[in-house]
Amino acid sequence: MGVENPAEQAQVLLRTRLCNPDFIFTIFSHSPDSNYSKLKYIMSSSVTEACNNSALLLGPRGCGKIAILEMVIKDLLQEYPDTICVIKLNGLLHSEDNCALKEIARQLCIENQLVFSKMASFDDNSQFVIAMLRECGLAHKTIIFVLDEFDLFTQGKQRLLYSLLDAMQSVTSQAVVVGVSCRLDADQLLEKRVRSRFSHRKLLFLPPSQEDLQKILQHALLLPTESGLPSQYVAAYNKKLLNTLSDEKFKDIIESLCHSDSTYNHLLRFLFAAVCHMDTKSGYLSLDNFKTALSSIQRQPKLEALQDCSILELYILVCLRRLEVKELETTNFNSAMKEYKSVHDSFQTSDYYAWNVCLRAFEHLLQRQLISLVDNRGHSQSVEFRPVRLLISSHELHQGLKSYRSCPAILHKLLDRGV
Amino acid sequence: MPPPPKGKKRVRTAKDKLLDSDLWAAHIESIWKEVDGTYWFRAHWYIIPEETAAGRQPHNLRRELYRTNDFADVEMESVIRHCYVMYPKEFEKARNEGDDVFLCEYEYDIHWHSFKRISEIEDNDVDDDEAEKDGDWNSCEDPDSDVEDERENQSNPLTRPSPAHPLAANSRKGRIFGLQKIGAKKIPEHVRSHKLTEIEKANATLLLATLPKSLPCRTKEMEEITTFIKGAICEDQCLGRYLYIHGVPGTGKTMSVLAVMRNLRCEVDAGSIKPYCFVEINGLKLASPENIYSVIYEALTGHRVGWKKALQSLNERFSNVTERSKEDDRPCVLLIDELDLLVTRNQAVLYNILDWPTKPNSKLIVIGIANTMDLPEKLLPRISSRMGIQRLCFGPYNYRQLQEIILTRLNGVDAFEKPAIEFASRKVAAVSGDARRALEICRRAAELADYRVKKLLSIPNSAAAGKMLVRMADVEAAIQEMFQAPHIQVMRSSSTLSKIFLAAMVYEGHRTGMSETTFDKLAITVSCLCTSNGEKFPGWDMLLKVGCKLGECRILLCEPGVKHKLQKLQLNFPSDDVSFALKDSKELPWLAKYL
Ligand SMILES: Nc1ncnc2c1ncn2[C@@H]1O[C@H](COP(=O)(O)OP(=O)(O)O)[C@@H](O)[C@H]1O
Ligand SMILES: [Mg+2]
Repeated sequence: MGVENPAEQAQVLLRTRLCNPDFIFTIFSHSPDSNYSKLKYIMSSSVTEACNNSALLLGPRGCGKIAILEMVIKDLLQEYPDTICVIKLNGLLHSEDNCALKEIARQLCIENQLVFSKMASFDDNSQFVIAMLRECGLAHKTIIFVLDEFDLFTQGKQRLLYSLLDAMQSVTSQAVVVGVSCRLDADQLLEKRVRSRFSHRKLLFLPPSQEDLQKILQHALLLPTESGLPSQYVAAYNKKLLNTLSDEKFKDIIESLCHSDSTYNHLLRFLFAAVCHMDTKSGYLSLDNFKTALSSIQRQPKLEALQDCSILELYILVCLRRLEVKELETTNFNSAMKEYKSVHDSFQTSDYYAWNVCLRAFEHLLQRQLISLVDNRGHSQSVEFRPVRLLISSHELHQGLKSYRSCPAILHKLLDRGV
Repeated sequence: MPPPPKGKKRVRTAKDKLLDSDLWAAHIESIWKEVDGTYWFRAHWYIIPEETAAGRQPHNLRRELYRTNDFADVEMESVIRHCYVMYPKEFEKARNEGDDVFLCEYEYDIHWHSFKRISEIEDNDVDDDEAEKDGDWNSCEDPDSDVEDERENQSNPLTRPSPAHPLAANSRKGRIFGLQKIGAKKIPEHVRSHKLTEIEKANATLLLATLPKSLPCRTKEMEEITTFIKGAICEDQCLGRYLYIHGVPGTGKTMSVLAVMRNLRCEVDAGSIKPYCFVEINGLKLASPENIYSVIYEALTGHRVGWKKALQSLNERFSNVTERSKEDDRPCVLLIDELDLLVTRNQAVLYNILDWPTKPNSKLIVIGIANTMDLPEKLLPRISSRMGIQRLCFGPYNYRQLQEIILTRLNGVDAFEKPAIEFASRKVAAVSGDARRALEICRRAAELADYRVKKLLSIPNSAAAGKMLVRMADVEAAIQEMFQAPHIQVMRSSSTLSKIFLAAMVYEGHRTGMSETTFDKLAITVSCLCTSNGEKFPGWDMLLKVGCKLGECRILLCEPGVKHKLQKLQLNFPSDDVSFALKDSKELPWLAKYL
């Protein structure tokens, strides 16, 4: 520890920033057209004008729904101290109505220093929640319900959503129900009585545009001058970084990155990887760092799995593929073995493995999910009789063989020639 | 205050003394006579803002008092005279009460030093209770009767906060402990000293939770319900009856029944009809259908028991004519909202509930509310024969009615352009006829307008003067937000590869004429599209990821990614939507060829 190299400090600073959604999204918070301002308006009007509200935040994963929501809540807590109480639920954990209601009661008790009982019944808890809503309304306190993975709350009878939203339209309290979901049709999942009570305020979160992307890059990577780092270093670093950012090669990297996935989350993970690769000796972010980061983030799991196969495993895959071309009814280990044998017989391949060795290879393939059992029935049967299918296509197999270190030529031939 | 004329000392009025903490006001709860012949009363004190822990706050009015939970027994002797402590609404209207008029909006908890608004419902109830017991020596003479009192010992010992309650707040048989703790340490500034703009007023009156002053468009239905209940109660025999109300959500079913019950309550208070008891149950708020027995039993007797025991007792109660106390003898109106939730496999719950009213002398009147018209027909014959006799339908509102509902709410608030309201009403009438939707659209539109106005005002020298109204465009935006799925926007802003993926789905669909395809086939199509248009093909793994992401948003319907090439895919929206979204994409002009 002690005196650190400025580059290491810078690296820590950059990584902290990239992991802190607050920092990343502040640059968009000021524009009145931003989701931040709109959401803040909806939620703070509930605080100041004492009304109930409900809203739904929609958009693909990684577009900053929760990040913006957290930011708004943080700011509201600061602006109106002691008057806001936040209850957070997650559909993955609390999709069951009874358990969700219990969790709400528990959090309400904690927030208000009340004693909570685990034994309370559904009725007790729902009466408690309604009573709390009313009392908090009278005390000018706002309750914010955050329902993450909102779509999962719509399984079953939707008692929880009905109770909450019915309270929103009948109790004079001040509460906000915010649902967060990546399913664009989340509001269509609501039962019609529940849908009628839902206010249908929807905010849509989208991946960043090109300009926003550029803004984030600079915002996240440029070092601040007043951070305690040597100013000389900061100046040099920033100059170099700006150079890199305007480099055509860098633009290609970003384009390739965003080609498949242009969300904030993806970009930030990429930048984090790049910062981790930063050379602390030189202290600068180089183009190479970004290149390495790109390849580390664009992995091709199935292709890589092929690279790790043994020759025998490749043989089995090729045999299965040949059987697939023949369009047999079912293929299983035994039929693959027959094919393997006939290949061996007709091409006089150099090595031929014993049955049990092949079975082990076959099991490896199953474990790596290059092939899979057709159905989960017939557990009593042993593996070699159960029908299997290839999960990778012939194209992938081709490509895999081509880039394999020392693939026997015969395999290519077997694959190409088919039967 | 003008200085007093020379040579004369100002005499403080009782009001001045009270506001200087030399006199106190109190609300008398009960009065009694001690054995020694002195009269005593029990009352809770009012205090002035200076006496609270927070002190006088900037928004406090001169004549403002707080009601406390500080009770004391005081001798009648010390009472000086009657004064008026009024809630804000009465205070506004006060005219002839003289000088001793005070305003009280909040309750102050002397243990927790916190403030809480006095709820309007509660004080209505208080009024009602007292009206009932009027003339009863044990209660106070008059709801407004407050008394000024010379409190002898300033250091009236306050009762210490009771030790932490070991009882849980969320249980204990429905009684809630610790809620007195909830209160604001200070009344927030913005609540009192905030002048509402017209749009903000509109926003508040359009809130679903604000009870509308009048309920237009449902007079006929409400009359019918009134006749039904009155008929059932007032007959000497009080034959049990059953009414089934149906209609789509938001057509005012619950609201109308509750309004009728409120009116009837007034009539009971006025003595024109017999007293009855009213039990309100919502099927969706019950933990299970059988729970309804416990809830009814508790509402009737105040005791909580398990449902089996409750059922037994209720069966006895409704079928037995003989032994009933006077209290038990009142007819009972049972309102079951969202009735369809009570349908169980063997329909026993519904059967029992519908069976009770047919028993002679059960004195039970059941009103069931549900959405579907044909619920009785879907049930077993022995149930539907009982349920289907008397029905009342709440049809969806047409646009005139919706418009009237909105306009009545907005009465006296000038915030909307007239055509804007009509537009919203027509749209909702065409879709569902749901009053909630219509009100919500208008409120959202008002919110959007308010947002727009505030945005304008925040820019310094913009001429945002003049009257701001909620415009057509705002309503349109609100409707868009409510009724339109955002998938088009998401498709437009998705990554390049996602767009190619979607285009390939459409192309594949056109080519094969099938809506469903597998990832295997789709990947080949994508790779063809890519190679023939000079686009880099990213590999299968990447493509699979893209497909799964689209599936997550439900733009596609797809099986889990582990199935890889066997994964089945299908568009979740019409392919026209995809074409519409992507055909003039800037960075991929060639996509149009395949759409
Ligand atoms: N005729 C009406 N006048 C005023 N408001 C109405 C009217 N009909 C419906 N509403 C509004 O719609 C809301 C829903 O009505 P409600 O009776 O709860 O519907 P449901 O038919 O689903 O029970 C009410 O809270 C009320 O604000
Ligand atoms: Mg209803």
